[in-house]
Amino acid sequence: MTFLSSLLNSVPGAVSQGIIWGIMGIGVYITFRIMDIADLTVDGSFATGGAVCVMLIRAGVSPWIAIVCAMAAGALAGLMTALLHTKCNIPAILSGILTQLSLYSINLRIMGGRANQPVSVDKFNLLVSQRYVRELSLKNPLPLIILMTAALIMFLYWFFGTERGCAMRATGDNPTMAKAQGINVKNNMIIALMCSNALVALSGALLAQYQGASDINMGRGAIVIGLAAVIIGEVFFSKVFKNFALKLLAVSIGAVVYYLVLQITLQLGLNTNDLKLISAMIVAVFLAVPYWKKLATRKKGVKNA
Amino acid sequence: MKKALTIMLLVLFAVSTVFAGGAKEKAADGTFKVGIVQLVQHVALDAATQGFRDALKAELGDKVVFDEQNASGEINNCATIVNGFVSSKVDLIMANATPAVQAAASATSTIPVLGTSVTHYAVALDIDKWTGTVGTNVSGTSDLAPLDEQAKMIQEWFPKAKKVGLLFCSAEANSIFQVEEVEAYLKKAGIQTQKFSFTDTNDIASVTQKAADWSDVIYIPTDNTAASNTEAIANILVASKTPAICGEEGICKGCGVATLSISYYDLGVTTGKMAAKILKGEAKVSEMPIEFAPVTKKYNADMCKTFGITPVAGYEAI
Repeated sequence: MTFLSSLLNSVPGAVSQGIIWGIMGIGVYITFRIMDIADLTVDGSFATGGAVCVMLIRAGVSPWIAIVCAMAAGALAGLMTALLHTKCNIPAILSGILTQLSLYSINLRIMGGRANQPVSVDKFNLLVSQRYVRELSLKNPLPLIILMTAALIMFLYWFFGTERGCAMRATGDNPTMAKAQGINVKNNMIIALMCSNALVALSGALLAQYQGASDINMGRGAIVIGLAAVIIGEVFFSKVFKNFALKLLAVSIGAVVYYLVLQITLQLGLNTNDLKLISAMIVAVFLAVPYWKKLATRKKGVKNA
Repeated sequence: MKKALTIMLLVLFAVSTVFAGGAKEKAADGTFKVGIVQLVQHVALDAATQGFRDALKAELGDKVVFDEQNASGEINNCATIVNGFVSSKVDLIMANATPAVQAAASATSTIPVLGTSVTHYAVALDIDKWTGTVGTNVSGTSDLAPLDEQAKMIQEWFPKAKKVGLLFCSAEANSIFQVEEVEAYLKKAGIQTQKFSFTDTNDIASVTQKAADWSDVIYIPTDNTAASNTEAIANILVASKTPAICGEEGICKGCGVATLSISYYDLGVTTGKMAAKILKGEAKVSEMPIEFAPVTKKYNADMCKTFGITPVAGYEAI
């Protein structure tokens, strides 16, 4: 029973961590699903978001302005990848890796040459902090991040319904066809990468506040968590959620599921040396499910015919 | 489809339970539950955790149970682990390494948190007027070796050295702090210094080569990346005949001439004794100053032979 109650008790923490990563997942969704490229910039731009946000807050800037600046910095990182990809003709995956690599040095510069910059909730008026996650008060991070996610989904829903948004979706679906329709494929790629990395940086900025520090290594493995969120969301909801806004919501829920599963496995007393193996297994299982599902339906189809 | 998924999740849980294999110790009534969160699997950090467990077991015996979890180097996992501790209402959290302490401090303001392997608490927790005590629910032990003495030691061992290269990893906050302190002391003594930072294992060789070309002596602080790559560093330093003074015994054993260092096991023991006082109700965490471990002076006999250096009196061979 104590196990269950402590598990229940840990839910708010896991959920808020999941929602914050969900914003990052939505960013990954834009590049991975809509534009159909795997953008590895995110491991770097996630830390950039945290770094910019924490440095500005420490300098006395309002946390709201700080997260906006963090998003702008993330967008710049996305622009860099996009330019490497579109103007220098470097494959998307390699462009992302190059940007990610260079962001390591840039992030160090942003953080004043230090690998770790703390931002204490006792000293600054942070937007979100793990400290209050179990409190019933206005300081609880949950309402704010839920509202933020909702606002983001609404904005993206509107945006991908505009002419520009439709053109971007067409670019991802079939670039040759899109080109034939007179769509500027390269510009769309640039916008998508900037949007995506702005969201990733926002997520990094929130997480840095949530855990009380930005660290040069905080983006390590971010892409895996982002992809996990996208794919878990699809596995659970692809049948039910057909609407674009709901698909984005599924990504956010996917991130929450990822963190809940992780939390439960930790509470079960998993030997944490196996943590990476378990993380990889969670992602691999969810990646494999859609394929197996397809195989199963194909077999059924043969039987019926 | 849903069935497949349910089965999958069940399998996953089953697997993780098997992995768990009794790693979790059950808490009976009247016992203290201590959560240990460690940043990464690492010789020094492991030693500190072991020291902590041994000391606390010695003080409290069967009255204490541990829930030890390792973030495997992913900082984000620290928050997940600490969230688990806070929700299962542990009596005390021991956070091993700076990001772990930061995560614990931002997760709770009521449960006592003891840090260890943290170099400087004022830097890690952003405290303006440092008095030696954090004053909140956080206290602990520092792995700061006396940097002024380390700087003096460079002059003691190499009185003719004019240029000292500072070799460290740019991803480690603590290394940067140590290097800056030592640099300040050396500058005061009129010695020229230059920083040589590498980012990871891949560029360690070329950066070390650059450092060796420039310097008369190299200083390496307590740096995890350097500690894992002493062989690579030694290969360059020996070839270019540049000796190194190190901040920690493990690094000195691999590639240095002498060190003035602390034992992480002793550091863990000191932390464990602090924890016992808190759990017994003998002391309040907010009133406990940060403690340090005793210093030992050691030299690497093989390296001294290679470089033809006579060890300074007062140092013992590793």
